[in-house]
Amino acid sequence: MQEPDHHDLSDDSDYAASQQQGLGKSTFRSDSGKFGAGGDGGVWEVVYFRENVAIHPTQYSSERISGRLRLIKQGDALFMTWIPYKAGQSGVDPARYGENSSLSEKDQNLYTIRDLPLEDVHSIRRHTPALGWQYIIVVLLSGLAYPPLYFYNSGVREFLSTIKQHAFIARSSDDANVFLVNNFQDPLQKTLSSLELHGVASIANATSHISFGSVSSNQDINRGSSSNSEYSGKPRKRIQDPARDISIQVLEKFSLVTKFARETTTQLFRESQNNGFNNYGKIQKNEDAPSKSSVAPDHKIEANIHNVPVPTDPLKNELSLIWGKPRKLPMGLEEWNIFLDPEGRIMDPVALKKRIFYGGVQNGLRKEVWKFLLGYFSYNSTYAEREYLSSVKKKNYETIKFQWQSISPDQAKMFTKFRERKGLIEKDVVRTDRSMSFYDGDENKNVELLRDVLLTYSFYNFDLGYCQGMSDFLSPILFVIEDESESFWCFAALMQRLGSNFNRDQSGMHAQLFALSKLVEILDCPLHNYLKQADCLNYFFCFRWILIQFKREFEYDQIMLLWEVLWTHYFSEHFHLYICVAILKKYRQKIIGEQMDFDTLLKFINELSCGIDLDETIRDAEALCNCAGENGEACIPPGTPPSLPIETPMMYQQDDEDDFGKSGCI
Amino acid sequence: MSYAYLFKYIIIGDTGVGKSCLLLQFTDKRFQPVHDLTIGVEFGARMITIDNKPIKLQIWDTAGQESFRSITRSYYRGAAGALLVYDITRRETFNHLASWLEDARQHANANMTIMLIGNKSDLSHRRAVSVEEGQQFAKENGLVFMEASAKTAQNVEEAFISTAATIYKKIQDGIFDVSNESYGIKVGYGGIPGPSGGTSGASTPGSGCCS
Repeated sequence: MQEPDHHDLSDDSDYAASQQQGLGKSTFRSDSGKFGAGGDGGVWEVVYFRENVAIHPTQYSSERISGRLRLIKQGDALFMTWIPYKAGQSGVDPARYGENSSLSEKDQNLYTIRDLPLEDVHSIRRHTPALGWQYIIVVLLSGLAYPPLYFYNSGVREFLSTIKQHAFIARSSDDANVFLVNNFQDPLQKTLSSLELHGVASIANATSHISFGSVSSNQDINRGSSSNSEYSGKPRKRIQDPARDISIQVLEKFSLVTKFARETTTQLFRESQNNGFNNYGKIQKNEDAPSKSSVAPDHKIEANIHNVPVPTDPLKNELSLIWGKPRKLPMGLEEWNIFLDPEGRIMDPVALKKRIFYGGVQNGLRKEVWKFLLGYFSYNSTYAEREYLSSVKKKNYETIKFQWQSISPDQAKMFTKFRERKGLIEKDVVRTDRSMSFYDGDENKNVELLRDVLLTYSFYNFDLGYCQGMSDFLSPILFVIEDESESFWCFAALMQRLGSNFNRDQSGMHAQLFALSKLVEILDCPLHNYLKQADCLNYFFCFRWILIQFKREFEYDQIMLLWEVLWTHYFSEHFHLYICVAILKKYRQKIIGEQMDFDTLLKFINELSCGIDLDETIRDAEALCNCAGENGEACIPPGTPPSLPIETPMMYQQDDEDDFGKSGCI
Repeated sequence: MSYAYLFKYIIIGDTGVGKSCLLLQFTDKRFQPVHDLTIGVEFGARMITIDNKPIKLQIWDTAGQESFRSITRSYYRGAAGALLVYDITRRETFNHLASWLEDARQHANANMTIMLIGNKSDLSHRRAVSVEEGQQFAKENGLVFMEASAKTAQNVEEAFISTAATIYKKIQDGIFDVSNESYGIKVGYGGIPGPSGGTSGASTPGSGCCS
């Protein structure tokens, strides 16, 4: 086996330069128990701090939350902390930091990083654009990533070199800007490292069952016992209360439960850490039950399923009270005409969106309505304006298309990026919905249109380029809209909202998966706790759902209905996340009862494809959305796709947004 | 269907090299050129027999595009075997092998058996990578190698089964602790708890639902 030589940062000029600078250090006494009941490691030391490190909650750098980034060393452990400034914080120049005051405290708390152990970190990606601020993205072992941290006062290299001094960090040979933390090549090294870090490690680690990321051994005990685990107590009590008044009050209680659960697990986590376990969760499962491991392999044999008590759904009663409204039939032409004034303006867009939310649109009418829903046409435009817009946009489209059409074979030889994109797109369009008659057969014209539109888009938004999944979005749009240019602009409008799903750094996906985990936490705390102990909190099992908005989970006619429901943004821009919660809650009994691990859960979720009742799911999601209310929206970070940071009434007025830039698939 | 062991496999490699087609050829014995492109991961399963023992292969077919690497990495955990696939007609898919291999080494169990597959051997008239180069790469990196064709089914059975045979041998040799699922091996209900166990796994119908 070859040993990749990436353990050394000495080739990094940034690193070398920083070594020559004195790095400011200051030592403090710990205020009481800030880092847990650590006992011996009472002294903590700030080994790095940097002012004015900011998060851009939206893709516009004008909106930012600034704060102080610190690395703190306690004993052998290194922690990272980022605390946003409070408005008017002393010693802070209000002209520079004033932007925080416009953000609610909730928003700020959402992002606060408090005492993150470096051992929970998988990697740190460094971005050093030629223009603009340097930033880093911290990816946790769980797979979740924090939003980019922008260094307004520079200091990325010092940050990395400080970590290098105190923790195991290695440059990835895959990407020179990725620094892997806790990157151990083999189990022996892992064992050695845990010895080094914690002084205790059992050789048994190598052979016993290892549970990645389990938070506490106590939870494992509870999981298997016949009595309920601790987290089911409170919600259940709540359910016996026949209260009629719902949502907010309930949710307030839940947030207390959540807080309680978090504190409890944090405490357990720290205890286990102090017991010498490697704190990123490789905790042995069998300490509570030696008999279990000797009788049978620690695996849920099929016969045992459903034996595990499943905590009751905390919202069971509440949801039955605020069940989503019955679904209507799709809107037809007559009804549509009622919404239009004589010149073709939509008089009441909210009423229209509501109508579409509750029943969708008849097939023949979609061609017209989708252009509004996607933002290609504005609601207050007239027939004449739209006709004019279409003709202008058609010319625009032809111009962009000509950019790649004019590339000669000779030029293409010197244009690798173009050849790669074209090759990939050509490979993918023939693998997109070919079972539909619209796209089947050899030399199908519509497949060629798919290719042309995608290739043109990859020139229009060259930074984002083409990424797999885009053809899944375009296929129904082209099917509905038919016209090439208009399909392109509708697709481009959709990508304005969902383009970051395809960012190379996966920032859009991470933001949504993070928001989903927060929603499940408030809407089904026991399920959240289960997923946490099963090390499934990265929600990667919902990746496909979110990446292409359930395209592979429903039949074609159903996906068109679901998409138009989502695109109304009637209840929430993030209604798709409530759809996720609704599906997960529907199967919570099975997921928890069968004690699904990550692999089993992923496979289970995959196989739900085309077996989900759409109307029921939308109604459930509506109820959940109502139930979560403001608390739900508050736990979704601003700028999470498909949010637009600023209302753009017309597509052609869009800014050259990609401040995001760093994306690009191919 | 009951089984003595269940092995988790993962199929990796660049997009468009034929990972899904290899899987379909192996599980359904058919070639479907117009298969939808894979988003995330797809699953397949098949029973095989090694040393008279029923073995279930649970196969994870992954998306190949570079952008999805970070998510693909989360699938390696607990895989006993991997099929690393390139397309013999596209040189770049061969050039990327080292990076795939590094991902596999970093994120999978160190004892994972890796089979290198040069797919599309039916298109040898358009060959861009010689057999020798494939062999050489495999040799340098300690992989088993064969060229195969998902279209004609040539070597497809062999690729999956010989990987399983290698894993089975590792169990017999005691390299794996089969009670530790992080090795990607599950013992079937009524199966053999250890390398020296002797009971047959074929006696418990209806137990293999965790495919």
